[in-house]
Amino acid sequence: MEAAMRDHPLWTTASEEDIDCALEGLEKYVMIKLFSRTFSATPEDAKIDNEISEKISLLQTFLKPEHLDIPPILQNEASLLLAEKELLKINAFKAPHEKLLSILNCCRVINNVLLNVAMSEHVPAGADDFLPVLIYVTIKASPLVIDLFLLVCHFQANPSKLHSNLKFIKLFRRQEKLISEAEYYFTNLVSATSFIVDLNAKSLSMDENKFEESMQAAKLMNKVTNESSSTCQMSQQQNNECSFSEKMPHKPNATGVFEVLEHGSNYPYMEAKSKGLTVGDVEMLLSDYKDLVNKYTILCKAISCLSTSEREPLLRQIEKQSAATLISHHPGGIF
Amino acid sequence: MARRTANKSLQAKLVLLGDMGTGKTSLVLRFVKGQFSEYQESTIGAAFFTQVLSLNEATVKFDIWDTAGQERYHSLAPMYYRGAAAAIVVYDITSMDSFVRAKKWVREVQRQANSSLTMFLVANKADLEGDRKVSNEEGEEYARESGLSFLETSAKTAQNVNELFYEIAKRLVKANPSRQSGIKLHTRATESRRRYFCCA
Repeated sequence: MEAAMRDHPLWTTASEEDIDCALEGLEKYVMIKLFSRTFSATPEDAKIDNEISEKISLLQTFLKPEHLDIPPILQNEASLLLAEKELLKINAFKAPHEKLLSILNCCRVINNVLLNVAMSEHVPAGADDFLPVLIYVTIKASPLVIDLFLLVCHFQANPSKLHSNLKFIKLFRRQEKLISEAEYYFTNLVSATSFIVDLNAKSLSMDENKFEESMQAAKLMNKVTNESSSTCQMSQQQNNECSFSEKMPHKPNATGVFEVLEHGSNYPYMEAKSKGLTVGDVEMLLSDYKDLVNKYTILCKAISCLSTSEREPLLRQIEKQSAATLISHHPGGIF
Repeated sequence: MARRTANKSLQAKLVLLGDMGTGKTSLVLRFVKGQFSEYQESTIGAAFFTQVLSLNEATVKFDIWDTAGQERYHSLAPMYYRGAAAAIVVYDITSMDSFVRAKKWVREVQRQANSSLTMFLVANKADLEGDRKVSNEEGEEYARESGLSFLETSAKTAQNVNELFYEIAKRLVKANPSRQSGIKLHTRATESRRRYFCCA
């Protein structure tokens, strides 16, 4: 393509810079047009993406910087959040160049954090610190939203399609542009991803049993999340409010939850009086009761896996929320 | 790979391998920050550096790739040294463990990387003579057996630091004589001879 352009009479007078610009534009144009056919085009790619995404969402629930031996001085959540945001932008772009830029910007933020610390502490930063921080950022690059009302953690899409993004850049970014610094940071994200894929109990500075327990608890939480979010979607669809759930399928909004309680779509006996019940209701009541106990046990287990610092604000919120629910259900009853 | 970008100018990827705390990064910083020429641009990042070295015969532009030395990232190293023109394997003379791991890297790189790769075994922290655990002879002996070059350095006192990088640059120039070599043509560039017209 480049040769064809240089041969063409239209470009004979163009400077090196012009040709470079034109090639950039051409790459961008062509790849945006072909995006749906080239990005994550095979079922295998989608499968790998999902596996990575799922693993990350499990790790997100319990991974701490110290598990990767990131020194406390680098545990600067505010700056790392900025890096995470840059990385998340990768899915906002379709052109390989722009996707690559998201990675570079993320790495530059980390780079600056390391350099600042190195300046103030007079110890050189290096890849010994860079790679663990990048891995941490990649895993955390999706705020773990704890929906306090539901008592459940919801996972926003982590830099999903990580594998497809990396493959896409590798295949379709001009090779003469994927060199030097860009290639270095790109390679770092590739190796961070490969580390996450192969990550097991031995890869972290963490007790192996604790790791298995945390993974197990995270899986349980995921299960509950999916169940409750589908509940909310159901109620939202009844109210013709499904547009929100389409955009963020894993984050039910709070009003949806209230509606579930108020309309009692899933718990039809919430509003029932004892006089109104018949023997025929016993079967339904029993199955509802079993369902409730199951969910409660799973949640208790999940909560017990949280550390005390995480648990306390959560429990305080629950108390507040349940008081609020009482008021909304029995207006005037308190006064 | 070392590539000639223009006449008498060589671009080379150099990879640093070595256990955590052996002073890989300090070594590069000492080298990059020690080059004072104003007109030679250099990049000083946290883990990636560039530095241009001018020799009589040619100019060498180093892309220096630092790698994480922790054991848990060991399996990722091949991604970094793939396509490198030179590698520096660093150990700390006050730590026998770091020497053992350095040998592991040497074996791996020799097995997996391209055969024309220039490799140096570097014994760093030579200023800490009092705490020495790995003798000079031991390092030299191993390097000779494995066909590597060997240097004892100190990032702290700058001992042998510039010598190390100049020596690598010289060997790269020697290994890549001035005729055009090692340039990889873009495979996709020649595929199509069609012309594109802009229709009004």
